[in-house]
Amino acid sequence: MFSEIIYFYLLFFSIIGAALGIILAPRMYFACLSMFLLVCLSSLLYLSLDAIYIAVFQFILCGIFLSVYIFLLLKKIGRLNLNLKLVAVPKVIVSCLFTLILGAVTYLYFKEEFTNSLFEIFNFVTIKSSDVVDFKLHIFPLILVILLVFISLTVIRVFLLRQQAVETLSEVVSSKDSEEDENV
Amino acid sequence: MYSQFNQILNIGLMHYLVLALILFLIGLCGVLISRNLLRIVMSLFIMTVAIVINFLAFGCYCDSSLDNANITCIFALLVSVIQTIIALVILYKIYQANEYLDSEKIKDKEK
Repeated sequence: MFSEIIYFYLLFFSIIGAALGIILAPRMYFACLSMFLLVCLSSLLYLSLDAIYIAVFQFILCGIFLSVYIFLLLKKIGRLNLNLKLVAVPKVIVSCLFTLILGAVTYLYFKEEFTNSLFEIFNFVTIKSSDVVDFKLHIFPLILVILLVFISLTVIRVFLLRQQAVETLSEVVSSKDSEEDENV
Repeated sequence: MYSQFNQILNIGLMHYLVLALILFLIGLCGVLISRNLLRIVMSLFIMTVAIVINFLAFGCYCDSSLDNANITCIFALLVSVIQTIIALVILYKIYQANEYLDSEKIKDKEK
């Protein structure tokens, strides 16, 4: 009982800390590290919600694939040690105020909805659903989606490469033209 | 006082919803206050994590089968990762064109 409570609150504050680490990190590598931590800690939180598939899925897709991809991209462009800046102070204050007001309103809404009469109106949300969806039935459409994603990524990549080739060709042609003009 | 303390100790749906709300707000705040485009993309990812926690909490506490929530979350995560990767590709192109990823500098250049 107590270990569950300690586990939850430890994850609660660690996840919030990692998220704050991303938006307030002074250097880029620190933000990357915070993102990796956020992915790992949220995967642990999913385990406490009995969602093992999602935990493994997120850890592999985001923790191993996405974080490493961002890290390698930053290393490639040499911006791993980039100094990160925030917007001007008045903008930060206004943004924080806006976020706080939104948070307060949403929290009040949650509290009203799940504690008193409003709960009766919206109880269709919390009534246990009788429909049972078989996970295996959704594997085929999921594979289709993944295939479509890879196809679209390949098309985008090919399109970008062709565009780059056209740009370099036009640059070469224009430089040759200018050289010929100079010779004339 | 005792009931409030008891409420804090009994981990339930509300606790997960509050965590998701705080994460979503941190992500929103990050989108609003960051100047670096890559950090804005990371903030969007925080918001996605908040949404997934929300779905899973409802799935765990309010649904007889967790599969509904699992399927929704897998699709949400997949879409989020694809969105991040496409954003990264676009950012890489922006970096190649401008040599920086600062949103305010890009805005100034456009003017």
